Amino acid sequence: MALTTHAAHTHVQLLLSADTARPGDTIWAGVDLKMDPDWHTYWKNPGEAGMATKIQWQLPPGVTAGDIQWPLPEKLPPAEVTTYGYSNEVMLLVPLKIAADLKPGMVLDLTAKVSWLECREECIPGSTTVAAQLHTGWKTEISADATTMDLWKSKVPQSGDRLKAQAWWEQPANGDRRPLIISGKFIGLLAGKLPTDFDFFPNANDNYEIQGTTEKSSIATTDSASRPPVFALRKTVQKFSGDWPKEISGVIVMQALGYRVGYEVKTPVADQAPPGVTLSPPSESSAGVSPAPPIPPKTPAAGTAALPLMLLYAFLGGLILNIMPCVLPVIALKILGFINHAQQKPGRVRTLGLVYAAGVLVSFLALAAVVIGVKAAGRHAGWGMQFGSPVFIVCLTTLIMLVALNLFGVFEVTLGGRTLSGAGQLASQPGAPGAFFNGILATALATPCTAPILATALGFAFLQNNPVIIVLIFLFVGFGLAAPYVVLSWNPAWLKFLPKPGAWMEKFKIVMGFPMLATAVWLFNLAYDYYGKSVLWLGIFLVIVALAAWIFGEFVQRGRSGKGIAIVIVLMLLIGGYAFALENQLHWRAPIVSASTPGSIADSPDGIDWQPWSPGAVTKAQTGGHPVLVDFTADWCVTCQVNKKIGIEVPSVREKLKAINAVTLVGDYTHFPDNITTELNRYGRAGVPLVLVYPKAVGAQPIVLPQILTPGIVMDALDRAAKQ
Amino acid sequence: MIMKTAFALVATLTLASAALAVEVGKPAPDFTATDINGKTIHLSDYKGKIVVLESYNSDCPFCHNQYKTGAMQALQRDFAAKGVVWLLVNSVNPNNASHRTPAQARAEMAAEKMDVTAWIDDSSGTVGHLYDMKTTPDMYVINKDGILVYQGAIDNRPDPFHDPTKAQNYVSAALDALLAGKPVAVTETKPYGCSVKYAD
Repeated sequence: MALTTHAAHTHVQLLLSADTARPGDTIWAGVDLKMDPDWHTYWKNPGEAGMATKIQWQLPPGVTAGDIQWPLPEKLPPAEVTTYGYSNEVMLLVPLKIAADLKPGMVLDLTAKVSWLECREECIPGSTTVAAQLHTGWKTEISADATTMDLWKSKVPQSGDRLKAQAWWEQPANGDRRPLIISGKFIGLLAGKLPTDFDFFPNANDNYEIQGTTEKSSIATTDSASRPPVFALRKTVQKFSGDWPKEISGVIVMQALGYRVGYEVKTPVADQAPPGVTLSPPSESSAGVSPAPPIPPKTPAAGTAALPLMLLYAFLGGLILNIMPCVLPVIALKILGFINHAQQKPGRVRTLGLVYAAGVLVSFLALAAVVIGVKAAGRHAGWGMQFGSPVFIVCLTTLIMLVALNLFGVFEVTLGGRTLSGAGQLASQPGAPGAFFNGILATALATPCTAPILATALGFAFLQNNPVIIVLIFLFVGFGLAAPYVVLSWNPAWLKFLPKPGAWMEKFKIVMGFPMLATAVWLFNLAYDYYGKSVLWLGIFLVIVALAAWIFGEFVQRGRSGKGIAIVIVLMLLIGGYAFALENQLHWRAPIVSASTPGSIADSPDGIDWQPWSPGAVTKAQTGGHPVLVDFTADWCVTCQVNKKIGIEVPSVREKLKAINAVTLVGDYTHFPDNITTELNRYGRAGVPLVLVYPKAVGAQPIVLPQILTPGIVMDALDRAAKQ
Repeated sequence: MIMKTAFALVATLTLASAALAVEVGKPAPDFTATDINGKTIHLSDYKGKIVVLESYNSDCPFCHNQYKTGAMQALQRDFAAKGVVWLLVNSVNPNNASHRTPAQARAEMAAEKMDVTAWIDDSSGTVGHLYDMKTTPDMYVINKDGILVYQGAIDNRPDPFHDPTKAQNYVSAALDALLAGKPVAVTETKPYGCSVKYAD
């Protein structure tokens, strides 16, 4: 029934959805193109090169062909000349209307001349004539091919009912180019998931071209109904003639778990963004950055316009900090605190909640003051920069160790000489000073972690020159960090979910001492950078302090006699240990800072060969034709270490780096070198982690990776960089 | 986009050229290149003359259609007689089957009876990237003052089988206007054809 022709590298066939059609019905014709491996044919908009496949019908009277329904195409490489087309196979679908005045029992010869351009490395035009026969009858009988055709029909982009799309010019034209934002909201699920990737394939137009590169931008809107997935795509429009388009049309492509769906959209182009919409600086792009501003704008143009959004980010970031790895140990203290609070009068619980919040906020105010001071002194400020101070590290290590000993029950924290709770009492009653201290501790430990959302807000804050804005943002981070506890302390009823106080608390308290101890070990390890092998004396000092703590707990707090002698011994130990170990041996306030090791810095024999980062190293590697991966990290940045372990220093990424011949650079931010602070600020970040992937072309702008990495994200970026 | 910016940058660095963006109404960036006879060519050598750049790949059906019908050669011959400089730019990379060695190129030039000032061997893609040439054929017309006055398609029929003499040829229209001292009517069109086979 169907006539088949094989020409060149594409095999064409004409299929019909019915063997017999009743006059008045519409049936489907399918022009099936099967391409040899590596060869492809083009979509209705071939893109920047190529040619759409054409079908010219020769139909008997009474049969009329409609427009071709094109299945969703793929974006074809190379990135420099983006085209849209099909690999392997495609079926172009055409509705055929059988006129009602035709008689049943006729045989209709349907013929189509199909011409196409097939390309691999080279392009070959192909053309052939295909034919099929259709009978008319009393009723329509579907053909054996109808099922296959239904499958292809399901790949044709649907109408965009579930998609609310809008478009606007982001900036005035720069010559014949102009950045366009296409934004929208999708209601529903794909493959049971929210779509994770969006793109836009434009319809062809002779007067302008919406270029292939799509840059994704995260979008925030004040419209409370706009819940994710909201997407925003930045495209460059090149105009050839006429006015800038007032309306655009094409297909929004979305993807989840490898499942792709297209939606037809047609939307007017507004001259400006809809009210209440803020776009974040580009954070992720499928093939690069826009031409006009090669580097993400330092801050959204009007600092104040973005402020409410930034305050929201600050608050959310603070909230998330509660569960970041560096703050996690403090949670032990807080949980115990809650259970104790729950036994107390609501009034006191509330007060303690507020005092805790005050502790957090005062710490954040202090941090804000430091940032303002540092900026005023003309230096760069960075989040977590106190970890660049050895004095801070020594103090914090000692403090954390004492907290651990306290949890182990070596000594109790009592304030104002109140009578101690009986030995059977499970935990010390944290009074107001205890709650305040918890707040400070939480803040101190939170600083080396930058929660994902916090990065944007802090990046914004560190670039501000207005002290009020810096203070506001820091306060909002504090609000976020303190919020859950304040809320719980004002609604003690919610605490009933926690188990009743009992003997388990004693064990839980001791168990929670271990993460604290681990934190102390981590901090101790940081001190090594400053003191080298002399860090031994810090260890000895810690042992002396621990001994003093035990004597204090055992003989001063719980002892029956000889308290005076015990206090003297404790003081002697502390003063002696400080003077000898810290001052005399360690020179703890003025350590000799060791320069970072030059040359390669491989973590393990088969690990990635890291070279030290410098501004010139990237260009040098690009000149040598290498893509570049840059990891800005710091010893005190836990997120960075986790990223490296999980997302970078893994076999698949190592192999990919080798395969694309990439150079890997590491920028060590442990001691806050100014040149790295400058680099971080360029990308709107206030701290590490920052991971960049540069294509090999000299001067090419990097792909900025998200804060939390997976091997997939890194591999994807490397692939894109290698292709460019 | 990043590619274009990046390659434009590479080109700029290599060629020490001042302009970055190729845009109608702006000076056409200068370049240094070698033709298939080993001669060094600077665009600036032709200051004071009208210059046509043609991005070329004879294996591309869209180019081939212009040559097999003799239309492109006729255009080259007519305007050469009027003092127009015509530079063929072949940016096909050496690993592609359509690449031509200088010897093959000289043979092809003779066989096709081309009448061009020079065939630039741009297998590195330097000139192609500098001008952001997307397709073959992609055409550029530069006036006597070195200003780009036309960029885009050769004609209005993006089809590898059409009769070029029946199409509206944008390049001959632009050249006629320049020679007559009139403004160029159509200054930019969407180029059509095969993608330029640049090196990766």
